Amino acid sequence: MTAQTPAGDGVAAPKGTQVTSAPRDVLGAVGRTPGEPAFDDHHPPQLDLISDCTHCGFCLPTCPTYVLWGEEMDSPRGRIYLMNSGVGGEPMTDSMVQHFDRCLGCMACVTACPSGVQYDRLIEDTRQQVERRHARSARDRALRGAIFRLFPYPRRLRLLRGPLRTYQAVGLQRLVARTGLLPRLLPTLAALESLAPPLSRPERLPERVPARGQRRAVVGMLTGCVQSAFFPDVNAATARILAAEGCEVVIPRRQGCCGALSVHNGREAEAQRFARGVIDAFEGTGIEYFVVNSAGCGSCLKEYGILLRDDPAYAERAAAFAAKVRDLSEVLVELGPVAERHPLPVTVAYHDACHLAHAQGVRAQPRQLLGGIPGLELREVADAEICCGSAGVWNVLNPEPARQLGERKARDVLATGAQLLVTANPGCLMQVAASVQRIGGTIGLAHTAQVLDASIRGLPVQRLLTRV
Amino acid sequence: MVDGPLDALRAAAGEAARPAEDADAVAGVPARYVAAPASTDEAAAVVRAAAAHDLAVVVRGAGTKQDWAVPPRRLDLVLDTRRLTGVVEHAAGDLVVVVRAGTTCEELQEKLTPTAQQLALDAPLPGATVGGTVAVSTSGPRRMIYGTVRDMLIGVTIVRPDGAVAHAGGKVVKNVAGYDLGKLVAGSYGTLGLITRCAFRLHPLPAATALVGQRVEGAEEAGRLAAAVLAAQVVPSALEVDAPPDGGIEVAVLLEGVPEGVERRVTTTRQLLGGDATVSGSPPAWWSAYPWSSGDVGLKLTATLSRVPALLAAARAVRVRYGAPLAVRGSAGTGVLYAGLPGVTDPDVVARVVEELRSAARGAAGHAVVLTAPAAVRDRVDVWGPVGGLDLMRRVKQQFDPDGRFAPGRFVGGI
Amino acid sequence: MATTDTPTSIDALAARLRAILSDEQVVTDRQELRTYECDGLAVYKVIPALVVLPRTGTECAAVVRACVDAGVPFVARGSGTGLSGGALPRADGVLIVTAQMRRILEIAPQDQRAIVEPGVFNLQVTRAATPYGYYYAPDPSSQQVCSIGGNVAENSGGAHCLKYGFTTNHVTGIEFATPDGELVRLGGRAPDSPGYDLLGAFVGSEGTLGIATEVTVRLVRLPETVRTLLAGFRTTDEAGAATSAIIGAGVVPAAIEMMDALAIEAAEAAVRCGYPAGAGAVLIVELDGPTPEVDAQFEHVERFCRENGAFEIRIAEDDIERAMIWKGRKSAFAAVGRISRDYIVQDGVIPRTALPDVLRRIAEISRERGVRVANVFHAGDGNLHPLVLFDETIEGQTEQAEQVSGAILDLCIEHGGSITGEHGVGMDKTKHMPRMFTDDDLDTMQLVRCAFDPQGLSNPGKIFPTPRLCGEVPGRHKGVHPLQEAGVAEVF
Repeated sequence: MTAQTPAGDGVAAPKGTQVTSAPRDVLGAVGRTPGEPAFDDHHPPQLDLISDCTHCGFCLPTCPTYVLWGEEMDSPRGRIYLMNSGVGGEPMTDSMVQHFDRCLGCMACVTACPSGVQYDRLIEDTRQQVERRHARSARDRALRGAIFRLFPYPRRLRLLRGPLRTYQAVGLQRLVARTGLLPRLLPTLAALESLAPPLSRPERLPERVPARGQRRAVVGMLTGCVQSAFFPDVNAATARILAAEGCEVVIPRRQGCCGALSVHNGREAEAQRFARGVIDAFEGTGIEYFVVNSAGCGSCLKEYGILLRDDPAYAERAAAFAAKVRDLSEVLVELGPVAERHPLPVTVAYHDACHLAHAQGVRAQPRQLLGGIPGLELREVADAEICCGSAGVWNVLNPEPARQLGERKARDVLATGAQLLVTANPGCLMQVAASVQRIGGTIGLAHTAQVLDASIRGLPVQRLLTRV
Repeated sequence: MVDGPLDALRAAAGEAARPAEDADAVAGVPARYVAAPASTDEAAAVVRAAAAHDLAVVVRGAGTKQDWAVPPRRLDLVLDTRRLTGVVEHAAGDLVVVVRAGTTCEELQEKLTPTAQQLALDAPLPGATVGGTVAVSTSGPRRMIYGTVRDMLIGVTIVRPDGAVAHAGGKVVKNVAGYDLGKLVAGSYGTLGLITRCAFRLHPLPAATALVGQRVEGAEEAGRLAAAVLAAQVVPSALEVDAPPDGGIEVAVLLEGVPEGVERRVTTTRQLLGGDATVSGSPPAWWSAYPWSSGDVGLKLTATLSRVPALLAAARAVRVRYGAPLAVRGSAGTGVLYAGLPGVTDPDVVARVVEELRSAARGAAGHAVVLTAPAAVRDRVDVWGPVGGLDLMRRVKQQFDPDGRFAPGRFVGGI
Repeated sequence: MATTDTPTSIDALAARLRAILSDEQVVTDRQELRTYECDGLAVYKVIPALVVLPRTGTECAAVVRACVDAGVPFVARGSGTGLSGGALPRADGVLIVTAQMRRILEIAPQDQRAIVEPGVFNLQVTRAATPYGYYYAPDPSSQQVCSIGGNVAENSGGAHCLKYGFTTNHVTGIEFATPDGELVRLGGRAPDSPGYDLLGAFVGSEGTLGIATEVTVRLVRLPETVRTLLAGFRTTDEAGAATSAIIGAGVVPAAIEMMDALAIEAAEAAVRCGYPAGAGAVLIVELDGPTPEVDAQFEHVERFCRENGAFEIRIAEDDIERAMIWKGRKSAFAAVGRISRDYIVQDGVIPRTALPDVLRRIAEISRERGVRVANVFHAGDGNLHPLVLFDETIEGQTEQAEQVSGAILDLCIEHGGSITGEHGVGMDKTKHMPRMFTDDDLDTMQLVRCAFDPQGLSNPGKIFPTPRLCGEVPGRHKGVHPLQEAGVAEVF
């Protein structure tokens, strides 16, 4: 289903009016940039999705890169335009790739779009095309290679923690030497270190946690990579909450990475491998829900059906699996609370992680859960729809703009005057922690699960107020 | 004796063209002819005739502002609009009226009152025509809520100095087709052409009105009360101050609306102005009148809202310093004040007063303009003061009136 | 006029602009230039030769100066959301984008003023003023993204302009880059600057008289009370009669908006606003002001709606409900995309009393041509936004839709209205201007243009179908206009 513009490029006219008497595109006669067309036949960005865009621009004010730079080509509208020109035969130039790479994948545009453009689909299809077809610079390749040798592997990530870091220096060197990755991670790691108390040893979660009281569901739980390496207490809290609410929790030791970072960076084959691993790990466990406490992971898991659509051996299972995926807050609200909530007198600024709010549409549930805790006062953060700048590993690949976005978010968070920042994503937690520290502010940081866990267990507020 | 121009004017306007008399002089400058066309077409013919004979033209409505601004550098023809009268169309359902420029504002209101509608423009000079009001853009207390001419004029018909007839805007309030020439001619003192027809948006006549007033000692207190009224949410239709030369300042707030609404807002406003504030169903005697009489010196002073008290204080300082009985009155709700001095005041004193007030206005991000003054004073002062964008204004004038025949020299920068 | 657009002259200009600004502020990559080839009216596309993004008024003026020196035309663009192609670039020209001039310089509630750069989003002004108890009244539906500079260029309105007026009633001062490349200030914080109201001519001049680099706007005190109701009627006639009754009674609502059945269907599909089921038309009426005034008038409004056939009336109890009522209306244009492949959004004005008649005629035209038309409009001031729906992949539908769109504009003019209430003439309606104005009318307007832009480099080709050669004697042209002869202009 292709549409013709008056210039006859064979590309879709963004939806809107059509006239037969449009002015001549003088430069059109000059011809397009030389080179082969940007996209091949393997899941290119779809023309009919591109055509949904009416060019209204409502996405611009919510796009972090447009907010930072005010340039059309780094806005969703502009990126769709570039995809369109690529579909029309324009080559995949460095410039085009740079604009795709700069997209945070935060999906704020999806929320803002009145026409229902599925930008999430478009950018994911585009990114895998870029990854396969574009020759990155050696430095870029090295850096990305290092990231993906590290982040999807919790045991390797733990090498970055605390005193172990220097002890394991040799191991780290092998992984990431001379890629420039470590210096980029240092500020965040420093912030992380000051999140007391540092664990001497990660809590080991049993493979099956029985339900407390009447068993209402059997659920699987993702332990994750960054989460389990840096915030194992969040995982422990998650398991406890689920148990307290009557869930039997299945936590296979060897789950592997869910593949979110890979999918969000166009590394399709790698992501598919990870996905199959997760599906296999939970095969035959009889789970009704698959519970995730990391927003980025959750949004990826919910799309396993799409990720493995081309694999006849996994397509159906992947779709069935995806249908079971729930964010922790979703499943708790769906089941309804049974465990008693003890008071937590504390002011909380709740930060919507992009992959929870925009990508999954989950905004009300975390607020409902926090609101159900007696004594807890919830405050809204200004400009909540703008990303904190973490965006998976975007902040590692784009440190300077990530710093600017982080500072904006830190200032907005601190402006609420809340004692505690609560969010549902480890990446956000680290980014905001580092940013708050950088601007000389101070605030407590906690995962939604930790707050709920403290309330259910009747812990004092002080336990939550680990300060940056 | 053959009088080429007169013949041409008579060919255009028939008996309504005649030689001028002494009374037809404009700001002391004698005229040669007077023509009073009865329609836009006739007016265009008159203007063409004037162009053909290189006649300098000044438009006259009711003549209420003839001695305003600077006297014309040249004058041949007085273009009288007294026969260009009548309401062309009153679309009451749309709150729009189309009226010929020579109609007086009072006549127009008579036609509108039966439908409980109004052209919400105060008339500081009784008897003024619609055209004259637009050409000079006069206004009064209720500009605070309704705006001024520029906010009400939605369409205009003008005759250009070369005789071409042009329309801008239309008969609907919402219209962004083309340039807003109505804004350009409003306040242009007749230097861009003759306005023959205006379309205005109207407002309903309010069901109830009330005036709440308070007397205070000085500028600071007046400023405090004004600020309090502005910060509240009573939505006054006017917020006026009157500072006569003999001291004291009266602050008056006009409230309009439905009876129950006005009643409650009166209560709130009384609290803001002080419990002993007076309430009346009609405005004070000075309301909507300039603080000067014919033959006096009249000034217009503008300021930001927060600096209105500073202007009032400057006025007081001027009274003290020069012993000049300066009367000040105007809208603290919009930052537009008027000041008057007796016509017999020493021109040198007036010059210094103008300078000081101009300096105070400038400090308030506003301007001081001498609207009217006796000849002796006019020669001593810079009537218009500094004007931003003058170069562009000259270029606009050059386009509309390349030969500089319409009201030459009356306007800013010698335009 | 423009010199030849040989690569060399543009290259030289690009180099000069890089020196005046910085490398990153000058865009020459063709793929990137392409993303700027259209604004909100995506059917017209022209790739600019260059795009520049100045960050200050001084830079902007310097850019204009450089263009003028090179004899290259320039077009200004804010957020690129305009609906008349006003920011459509010139293939031989420079697109000057103000998106990086986006600071709010000052909020001065004590003077009821705000001073902002042109790239600031409309809604940001209100957000900045609200903590002080003020807001910026003109509220186009695209206010979350449209720029103040763009609002100035188009004299934008919005739903609340019925009571509060348009951009021109809320701008008291500007600094702008003249088409000569000078920075000039008009007006300021205080009202009534002496001289011609050039500011009044500038607002709504669609970028043809220069580029605003700083705008002083009037802030309005937040109303004590806002009350909003949504009324469902079976027919647009009934809704129109209710509107007449409300206005006729002397009520001045802050806004009265109407949507017909097709528009409601679209809005429902897009944002699930839950408007009354089975409604042939809905009215959204909003009153604001002092509480006792609003309460008293609101009763009348409710009564008029019922008396004229409203079968369901919903009154917003809080801000959230109010936002829900408005959500359907505000997303109507974009929402139409869900019930139709393609559409033309029109922007005509008629006297409000002619509404029932015109709507009937539109329905007739729609039936005759077999083209669906969804109607969304500002019932209070007669500003219609007919959305002409079609599918361009079906042969002949595009032409039919265009004809219907043109016929609707003719209707507006027949009834003494206007061809554009808010969106501007831009590129899209230049050919309709002669239907509304005579040659002398257009000539006279262009005198203003010649005064500001004698070289004709500031957004040329917009608004006026036949550009005027500045310096020629005003008046009727005998025979063929020189520009027609040169093949540069056509008479429609």
